[in-house]
Amino acid sequence: MNRGAFVKGVLMALAAMALGWVASKTVASALVMTLLAQSCFYALFALGVGLLIRQNGMVSFGHAAFFGLPGYLIGIGLKQTDIPIELLIPLVVLAVTTFAFLVGLVFVRVHGIAFGMLTLAIGQAVYEASTRLRGLTGGHDGLTIKFPRELFGLPLKTFQQPHGMFLIAWCVLVIVVTLVIWLAHSRLGRLTEAIRENEERAGFLGYRTLWPRAVIFAISAATTAAGGVLFALYNAYISPETVYWTSSGSALIMAVLGGSVAPWGPVLGSMVYFFLKEALGDVTTHWLGIIGISLIVVTVSFPQGLSGLAMRLLGLGARRRHADS
Amino acid sequence: MLIQILNGLVYGTFLFAMASGLALMFGLRRIVNFAHGALYMLGAYFGYTAAKLAGFWGGLLVAALGLAVLGVALDILVFRPLRGRDPLTTLLVTFGLALISEDFIQTFWGNDTHSFAEPALLSGVVQLPGTTFPIYRLAIVAFGILVAGGLAFWLTRSKVGLYVRAASHDPVIAAVQGVDTDRLSALVVGVGAALAGMAGVVAAPILSISPAMAADILVDSFIVVVIGGLGSLGGAFAAALILGQINVLGVVFLPELTALLPFLLMMAVLIWRPTGLAGSRV
Amino acid sequence: MPILEARAVSKAYGGFLALDNVNLTVEPGEIRALIGPNGAGKSTLIDVLSGRARGHAGQVFFQDAEITPLAPWARRLKGLARSFQKTSIFPALSVRAQLELAARKAEAGGDVGETLAEFGLEGVAERPAGAIGYGDQRRLDLALALTGRPSLLLLDEPAAGLSFEESMKLAKALREMANRRGVTVLLVEHDMEVVFAIADTITVLQLGKVLAEGPPAQVRADPRVVQAYLGSAA
Repeated sequence: MNRGAFVKGVLMALAAMALGWVASKTVASALVMTLLAQSCFYALFALGVGLLIRQNGMVSFGHAAFFGLPGYLIGIGLKQTDIPIELLIPLVVLAVTTFAFLVGLVFVRVHGIAFGMLTLAIGQAVYEASTRLRGLTGGHDGLTIKFPRELFGLPLKTFQQPHGMFLIAWCVLVIVVTLVIWLAHSRLGRLTEAIRENEERAGFLGYRTLWPRAVIFAISAATTAAGGVLFALYNAYISPETVYWTSSGSALIMAVLGGSVAPWGPVLGSMVYFFLKEALGDVTTHWLGIIGISLIVVTVSFPQGLSGLAMRLLGLGARRRHADS
Repeated sequence: MLIQILNGLVYGTFLFAMASGLALMFGLRRIVNFAHGALYMLGAYFGYTAAKLAGFWGGLLVAALGLAVLGVALDILVFRPLRGRDPLTTLLVTFGLALISEDFIQTFWGNDTHSFAEPALLSGVVQLPGTTFPIYRLAIVAFGILVAGGLAFWLTRSKVGLYVRAASHDPVIAAVQGVDTDRLSALVVGVGAALAGMAGVVAAPILSISPAMAADILVDSFIVVVIGGLGSLGGAFAAALILGQINVLGVVFLPELTALLPFLLMMAVLIWRPTGLAGSRV
Repeated sequence: MPILEARAVSKAYGGFLALDNVNLTVEPGEIRALIGPNGAGKSTLIDVLSGRARGHAGQVFFQDAEITPLAPWARRLKGLARSFQKTSIFPALSVRAQLELAARKAEAGGDVGETLAEFGLEGVAERPAGAIGYGDQRRLDLALALTGRPSLLLLDEPAAGLSFEESMKLAKALREMANRRGVTVLLVEHDMEVVFAIADTITVLQLGKVLAEGPPAQVRADPRVVQAYLGSAA
């Protein structure tokens, strides 16, 4: 990426953050803000899932583990240790990322549906652990996270009110999206795209193909974990439901609906998911059926998802038109 | 101890009856059916409603026939048109179907938990040394063994079974040899769905019926199919029995994390022997 | 001093011995052809030499260093490149992007303009490789293998799927390319016209064993070779 693109990216990110600030000041509705904040958490969750699809061509059914683990680890860490929260949060994200990298070194050797089943297995293993280790996790009752009154120089209240949390989550999301777009254009991004296309050939060009994909798996987990940290901060509570496989399924649906050709596709997917759910909630009770039908229609007829559709309508999709065919 | 082993056997044989259809579908069409839990759940609800009118046996019959029809429709309307597409496409579509089924069930039966009584014929307990055991649970074991025996007989003795096994080995070769794979897979998916539906009814007197019943059983079925060797019914039978024992004995006698054992086993199998599943890429 | 040497390489698939104690020595600068009837073990040998498959016995030496345990990427970094019988490219990446990817690893500099020109790919540089013609794809495959000036090139049936005229054109281009770049070539080829047009030395494999080896004229006259080919290819 050249300097001009870099400057443009930073400016766009700053503009997006400013937009979020304006929104948090002008939109009074707590409901809308709650929805926006929630969709930011899940946007990060889905962004991780979509990143893995885009760069590695791998579909995960176990990312809920990376979404829920931060909450559990922070909760347990606050209860059992004296590590200050400002240090604990980065440590937890680092731990989840390292765990994902090590797991990834083994998992990325396996392709296609078998990879999906592997991630399903590890996700469910984390779920089982969360229900059985009652002493640490509170079992099915869940775990209340006792945050200190103040963190990162802000009162805890700020993190737990819709307006405050939305602004924080939005800024984190904008930064992560910018990084993900930068990653897609980076050497690692290009290399993993090539490996996704033809792993054997990449090897015969002199590239090692295992660790770049494990790094992507770790970055994908870190992205999801960032959403998990915000989720935990906002709710101050985590339960096994969050790490259950259907939670991974929802994030996968958001990523598929949004499409993963554009790096920001999953963000669009999760925003649409939450606002549609809310809007339809007043009209009909058939949310599950509608999301099921949408999933089928998008999978079969629009594999590039809403973002692909949007890019085609805006005429941006031409360069990558052949990518998914 | 004896009770625990028996309970493990009950869950294992039941799980096999449930997962055998999943293994058949994978073998024949290379389909990972995320809607299999939904089929099981639909069977339970069909049976629940029919049982109110016609008793347990009527419910079982309605679930079997209803799900067989649904299974054939599933193959003709969904699996067949998607043949040749990426396996992940089919997987996501079945996931969508599972969500639609859940919506359907919530609409017609609500979110409440239901259950229905075991048939009078199988109520009561048997006397075991020092304890008693419900007859109905033994009947579930018999049901699972009957399904295993029936499928084994069908697949080894009949002409249809021979083709199923050939197609499971290599759908292309079977097609070249003039096997009507379309009719065959409609039959197999129908049978698999009917078995899942019957499993739903059979389980109803001991596990309750609710819209959440599909998700857990689906994951356990995947474990059985994967550990059993992807499409192998004998392997699935052994895996189901082992899983049943781990499920019961692990909780009682061994440390809490024994519950992770099935997942670790599943991962080990996928990493060392991903044959079949690994042939597919996104 | 040979550039490539296989010592007593064997490879079995199940109970079938695809390579049976094969010895092969390739001298720097030569064009060596590997021929033999179907199932002789030619592609298996290329796979073992390039690291795509692992022999169950024997050793492989490249430029006097043993490379037997090395993965394909490590062999490539030492200067051993290969192409594929079924063209192996990156369909979604543009022609330019994938050549840049190859050049970056081979430390051949960022400019792939020269490579594009050399292989006649300038016209399709910005298009996804999956969308260009078959002939262009084959040349791209070759360009990927040759980026960074490897010292040895393994070619698996470069003329597969080409017409007679195209094959002869390819043979001529290969000969010129090898001379110009000073690259040693080991190729598997079914098309005997191509083989006799460019090979300095021919090695004949049959049922996993080396049957004969020598200059084209000598191999052509060898009665054992004639016998082996009777009723089969060529």
